[in-house]
Amino acid sequence: MNDGAPPITAELVVFVILAAGTIGGALMTITRRNPVTAVMSLVATFFALAGIYATINAHFVAILQILVYAGAIMVLFIFVVMILNRDEVQLFSFKGILTRVIGVVAAGYVSYLGAWVVWDQRAMPNPTGALLRGGLTDPPVGYGTVAGVGSSLFREFVFPFEAISLLLLVAIVGGLIVSRSQHQTDMAEGRARHIRDIQAQSHPEIKLLPDGRPADDDGHAAAGHH
Amino acid sequence: MPTFNYLILSFILFLIGTTGVILRRNALIVLMSIELQLNAGNLAFLAFARALGDQKGNVFTFFVIALAAAEAAVGLAILVGIFRTRQTVNLDEVTLMKR
Repeated sequence: MNDGAPPITAELVVFVILAAGTIGGALMTITRRNPVTAVMSLVATFFALAGIYATINAHFVAILQILVYAGAIMVLFIFVVMILNRDEVQLFSFKGILTRVIGVVAAGYVSYLGAWVVWDQRAMPNPTGALLRGGLTDPPVGYGTVAGVGSSLFREFVFPFEAISLLLLVAIVGGLIVSRSQHQTDMAEGRARHIRDIQAQSHPEIKLLPDGRPADDDGHAAAGHH
Repeated sequence: MPTFNYLILSFILFLIGTTGVILRRNALIVLMSIELQLNAGNLAFLAFARALGDQKGNVFTFFVIALAAAEAAVGLAILVGIFRTRQTVNLDEVTLMKR
């Protein structure tokens, strides 16, 4: 790279265009006042990134990026923006700015160190340097396709895959419970009480515990399957 | 084209995301900035996977995308909950644990 300007190839042109789209979209995302504009810029960012993924043979991930990120996650964001839509008067927060300046300096220093290590390694005559400097060679057959990634996913990574499905289930249930309002909780309890009252009137011989299980004569939970 | 270019893009994307997380007031934008950071990580994973010709990076990106979906679901639910009780999603106004 240091021996003059790199040759301008079609690959480089496409990369520069997509990278400009990615960075521009990301900057728009964090500077727009209106959250809807920010979400739309983020969608544009994700599309440009999907293009970059496609150029480095990660076809499956590129499709996932559009389907899951630009499709599902961003729709979720749009819904919440519509619930909470309020334009901000003051865009950036400067409360407790000292603490955050320290945070920025610390984060900046760590980023600088990380970037410096990579920059340094790039010039080294070792495998890492060769990896960083080297152009992208032809990938193995089937690299990045649905079949290729799927076979790796279900052969080597079955347990992480199942764990991530469990995580998604927990996230769905957790999201439902956290976003549930007090009103809805009260309504549900009111309905349960109502059902218990009807039960008590129509079948007074069956006593129910407060949680709805049938009780025996002593007022304890009845044995058996209920 | 060297792998290094992709790393530069990933680094810039991560810096933009970090700036958003640290400086913005609106919690929604902060969540979006976290998505940007996750995508920067994804890009680095994919660039190295491609350079090494190893598909494991693609699988990890798949996991990160699933994780981002879970994070967005729970984070947005928490935001809706905060908005219900406090009528704001500005992070510097949600200071109940400060006093």
